[in-house]
Amino acid sequence: MIKTENVLAPSPAKIVKTEKMTEIERLIQLEFLDKEFAQNFVYKPGQFVKVNVMGVGEVPISICAARKRPEILELCVRKVGRVTNAIHNRKVGDLLWIRGPYGNGFPMEKMEGSNLLLIAGGLGIAPLRGVLQYALENREKYGDITVFYGIRSYNLMLFREEFLKLYREGDKQGVRFYLSYEDKEDQECIRLQQERSDRCTSGVVTKIFEITEVTPENTYAIICGPPIMYKFVVQELMKRNFDPRQIYMTLERRMKCGIGKCGHCIIGEGSSIKYVCKDGPVFTYWDALHTKGMI
Amino acid sequence: MLYLKLPKENFDAFFENLKSFGRIYGPVKTGVSSYAFKEVSSAEEMDLSYTRTMIPPKKFFVKPMEKIFEFDEEKAEFREVFEETEKVVVFGVHHCDINAIKLLDKVYLDELPDKYYWKRRENTVLIGYDCYPDEYCFCKSMGTSYAMDGFDIFLHELSDGYLVRVASEKGQEIIAKSKNLFANVEAKDIAEFKEKEKRRLSGFKLELSISGIQDMLELAHDSSVWQEYADKCFGCGSCNLVCPTCRCYDVIDYVNLDIKSGERIRRWDSCMLRKHGLVAGGLNFRPTRMERLRNRFNCKGSLREGTLNCVGCGRCTVYCPAEISLVEVLQKVRGEI
Repeated sequence: MIKTENVLAPSPAKIVKTEKMTEIERLIQLEFLDKEFAQNFVYKPGQFVKVNVMGVGEVPISICAARKRPEILELCVRKVGRVTNAIHNRKVGDLLWIRGPYGNGFPMEKMEGSNLLLIAGGLGIAPLRGVLQYALENREKYGDITVFYGIRSYNLMLFREEFLKLYREGDKQGVRFYLSYEDKEDQECIRLQQERSDRCTSGVVTKIFEITEVTPENTYAIICGPPIMYKFVVQELMKRNFDPRQIYMTLERRMKCGIGKCGHCIIGEGSSIKYVCKDGPVFTYWDALHTKGMI
Repeated sequence: MLYLKLPKENFDAFFENLKSFGRIYGPVKTGVSSYAFKEVSSAEEMDLSYTRTMIPPKKFFVKPMEKIFEFDEEKAEFREVFEETEKVVVFGVHHCDINAIKLLDKVYLDELPDKYYWKRRENTVLIGYDCYPDEYCFCKSMGTSYAMDGFDIFLHELSDGYLVRVASEKGQEIIAKSKNLFANVEAKDIAEFKEKEKRRLSGFKLELSISGIQDMLELAHDSSVWQEYADKCFGCGSCNLVCPTCRCYDVIDYVNLDIKSGERIRRWDSCMLRKHGLVAGGLNFRPTRMERLRNRFNCKGSLREGTLNCVGCGRCTVYCPAEISLVEVLQKVRGEI
């Protein structure tokens, strides 16, 4: 009656690449050792995995790339706690242990035929990079793609080479890539702004709304960033008449188990209790309006 | 349901026969008014007139602390470990606690079943036993005052024996092994059973209206009730430990002295503790005691698993060192007091 596989058992994956992206973030590329596990490891943009460092612990990390080669998994990891510090200290050839994928992910099929407006702050770009890659691979299925990426400074920009290419030449692929930077003295950012003043502004990510027109017609907005950001971005979108159901966002919580059992990521009250790991982490703003404490 | 009669004189023999189905745990008096499920070798060791144990029978399925993996860096393995997989008979479980186990089953077995929980559930025989409410019991209000399933065998005490309900294949198996101990249920037994149930149901002193409780809770989001009780609350988490439906857990890796091998432990966690909503980097999604208290009450009052998360056993109120009464808080939330 019940499958006897152990849902808490992680599968080994070898680090094949670990690249310093900023002082605190690394891109970790993993290769699953168990090929069968890899074949079944099918994920959508917006889903996450539990990453284990033996003897240190387990953390939820969002997958930052679309699935291209089944055995390869890409994660962008910020050094922020015990386990993520340990991940940073691991080298090529070392093992990490993975279970997942978990969470609902972004409804890529539902958004087919629509324009995509991706709004990310800081590390929030990681899960949205998966959405972007997926949409670019299936370019004909989506309308205009617009990216708002808010960074603190040039040296904290993630996937710098990749995104600067999109910033400069994205239009060729139908991608309008906007940047905002918070450190107004940052010379590199000022240079970027001089390069394309129509695509870059100083200030927080919502400042980008001032340099371009955003309309809700046939558009889905997808947001990810630090918890404080959601409220302000949603405000801008609502001002522009977005329907709450057109706004997707992915949330952070303490997700210890990833499968709705350990209880830590509980949100909501009374009739709206949800587990972010299982019911989310992707929710619409409509969900947020109906769930106290979501954003 | 199969109904049988176990005459009183056969009770000890029935108990003895149960031993072939596992180690027997039953309610044992451990203090003036405290009880615990402990291993027993004879029926006399049990006090079946108990009202509630401090720690609920969830401890047989969701272990307070258990090793779930052993890891070894050199062997590159996470080896699953199952502790305490011997067969167990839990004797004397009350209606509310059985309903609580059913709720745990939903969480742990419905989707992505938890292998550890599942193994223990498979290895356990649950023998229910009826009870009489005290001033803290309110299972009647929660709709959990009677268990229709979730157990293997249920005993309802009668003057000269027990009305026995058999609800599972495991229960059938046990009955089959002790066939000669049982008799048919007669009309007078049914009459006595009904009378007893009527008396039990009219014995509840505590009442809580759960009509629309989910809305009441949400609408009370900004109520001063939460701060009022948070000011009393010690934030100790005792309510979580004694709750038969609380099942939050934490996972910790312990490393051996060779720094290469070790074990992964899973243990009960508590939503009343500060760390429950804390993520790396220092952001806490429930930073104040008020928010944690409110969350606990909302969790208990939610219909998340299709049923309320509280079975009215009264433990959280009995064992709260700050004497916070769950019913009182919810009555305040409803504006009834």
